[in-house]
Amino acid sequence: MRVSAALVSVIAAVTVIACVRVKEPSLRPTPAMAGATLWKDPGNLRGKDLLNGPWGRGRAPVADALYTFVEQKHTGTNPGMTVLDPEGREWSVKQIAPGALDVEAKVEVTLSRLLSAIGYYQPADYFLPQFRLKDGWGSHTEVGGRFRLKDEALKEIGDWSWTHNPFIGSRPYNGLLVLMMIFNSTDLKDDNNSIYEYKNGDRLERWFAVRDLGSALGDTRRLGPYKGDVAAFEREPYIIGVTRNRVQFAYTGFYERYVRNRITPEDVVWTSRLLGSLTDKQFHDAFQAGGYDHEIASRFIGKLREKIREGEQLGHRS
Amino acid sequence: MRRLSTSFPLSGLSFRFVLAASAVGFIAFTSRTPLYAQDLTPANQPALTDASPEKEGLVQEPDPVRRAVVIFDRRFNFGEVDSGPYAVVGKMIPGAGWISAGPGYRRWYAKDHVFVDASAEVSWHAYKTVQGRFELPRLADGKLLAGSQVRWQDFTQVAYFGEGPSSVRSDQSRYAIQSKIFGGYATFRPQRTLALDFEAGWLRPTIGQPGGSFQSGAPDTRALFGADPVYALRDQPTFFNRAVSVSWDTRDYPGHPTAGSVYRAAMTNFSDRGVGMFNFSLYEAEAARFTPVGAAGAVLILHGWTMGSDVASDQAVPFYLQPSLGGLNTLRGYTDYRFHDRDLLLFNVEARIPLMTHVDGAAFADFGNVASRFRDLDLRKNSYGGGLRLHSRRQTLVRLDVARSREGWMCLLRLSDPFGLTRLSRQTATAPFVP
Repeated sequence: MRVSAALVSVIAAVTVIACVRVKEPSLRPTPAMAGATLWKDPGNLRGKDLLNGPWGRGRAPVADALYTFVEQKHTGTNPGMTVLDPEGREWSVKQIAPGALDVEAKVEVTLSRLLSAIGYYQPADYFLPQFRLKDGWGSHTEVGGRFRLKDEALKEIGDWSWTHNPFIGSRPYNGLLVLMMIFNSTDLKDDNNSIYEYKNGDRLERWFAVRDLGSALGDTRRLGPYKGDVAAFEREPYIIGVTRNRVQFAYTGFYERYVRNRITPEDVVWTSRLLGSLTDKQFHDAFQAGGYDHEIASRFIGKLREKIREGEQLGHRS
Repeated sequence: MRRLSTSFPLSGLSFRFVLAASAVGFIAFTSRTPLYAQDLTPANQPALTDASPEKEGLVQEPDPVRRAVVIFDRRFNFGEVDSGPYAVVGKMIPGAGWISAGPGYRRWYAKDHVFVDASAEVSWHAYKTVQGRFELPRLADGKLLAGSQVRWQDFTQVAYFGEGPSSVRSDQSRYAIQSKIFGGYATFRPQRTLALDFEAGWLRPTIGQPGGSFQSGAPDTRALFGADPVYALRDQPTFFNRAVSVSWDTRDYPGHPTAGSVYRAAMTNFSDRGVGMFNFSLYEAEAARFTPVGAAGAVLILHGWTMGSDVASDQAVPFYLQPSLGGLNTLRGYTDYRFHDRDLLLFNVEARIPLMTHVDGAAFADFGNVASRFRDLDLRKNSYGGGLRLHSRRQTLVRLDVARSREGWMCLLRLSDPFGLTRLSRQTATAPFVP
């Protein structure tokens, strides 16, 4: 009886501690790292190919190729694996979980397209609805998902933190947070961010990228947020108002503290204009790249456009 | 292997509320790590071939139900495929109490060629287990898995009602059993669905007086069944056990099967390395068929299981290793471990109808019995009932069954499917025998 009472007490104490609101982190930029970059001016947005993405069609996985199993995916909640294609290229595959409750793979590729189009760095992500897999027992057709190329030219050297990085306070950094709000991104864990080393001519660039974008395009509940759910995405409000020149978001996710009292209307307007510069076709291409059909894509895009307008209106107000 | 269960011994609404809140808090707190390790390794997972959404049920699913499924499904996912620390929840044997939990750590190395795992768990009735495991899961191009496991377990109040089909409920007694287990095992899969399992190891049990927390008040088994050969010994012997089994498993999702079959045959030999009075072999055959009915997602399940002991006339089967029936996955209208004897026969039929996308209504009937001779087996013990299953596509998350037998009503709450057939993923022998 005593042991069980103690167990209940410990669990109750842990529960209380877990529910205590986390103090707002002190946000100051860390010293600049050589070659570190979060964003580059995308230039002519209208010329961006969102169907094939920044890495182009040439690097895309071949739909009817036979992939060889290397190992299972050992992190996250979605099933997946590492595979080799016939050319010897290694791919990290995040599959669609059985029952399609968590369709992270589609969300991830779509948002990767949108982010890369407006200047944020992204690895080579593609979507295949299914693929043929060879393992010890022969070959069969597997449920597809997000294929991320493990490219030697793009070396992942570690994670970066939303609260400790050289870009804090900069417009692209705040803009990235605004984008996470627009997308209803609920899993802003540091280990979903990656620093990639990329050799651009003689220069070594260190790309700060949000790598795992799958927990988005749904709602932002703390417990069990929906992902890739268009009805939930449509229901969720975006901006509550502006207080002391800081935008208040309706976002209720676990990482709300990252944006609380930090984002100015100018940040939102900058981001909204950037994202809003993409054409409807480009938006549709991004969703098509993620494997969405036209009807669902149109609903997502409609809500995104609504959010973009809402953001742009902050500029009119100010 | 999830065997969290209860027949609701709790009293007081507020007490239950505190417990439920604690459990929810625990889940929330650990929501960054998978809660439950389903005993699937990359080698024995079914191929992922269906990404279609789940079927809608008779009525539209309320948002809180779907949200609960989302939360549970994210946590109770593919389990052992995840590397790192994890929380073990509800992997204890029936009778351990309504909740059990503990920490675990597992890691894959060398592109899934090496797997290590360690965990500990304590339950409501202070059942305790600690285990460590080392595996080479991808030998022979992934077709051969070899591993070893060491386990210590302390089950404080296991029920025993005496031997034979005529045992009476009022003879309920309890005993504590502590075991040290060490063994090696191998699984050869010439095909993804066909497995040949081999295991060998040592089992060192110790029998004692019931203890732990929230005791039932039932007397010590020694007090009621002191004449049993088990109590003729001061110390229980060390057993060397060997087992071989063959199984053909085409279930779509082992944690929540909706289609496919399982066929299995097994032989286990226990060799008494002490005084030599408990040498015996157990033979078993099992089959389960999951048949989708209609387009609405209904499933008809037929399951049969039989077991026979081969014991020389001067030998015996200790009661804690005797085949047993009753409780969560067998005769659901009876209490856990209700019937013990040398042989058993069981037949279950269950029909599931999707009430909502993630909630099935179930109606079931269980028939079976135990006997000292195989030819005396019949299906005279039976129970009937109904229940609800909260599930995702790949996992039965919670089930609530209400069952009726001659001995009254039973209400069962579990975090597993009654036909999960965890026997298929057992690594080493255990004591007591778990139906």
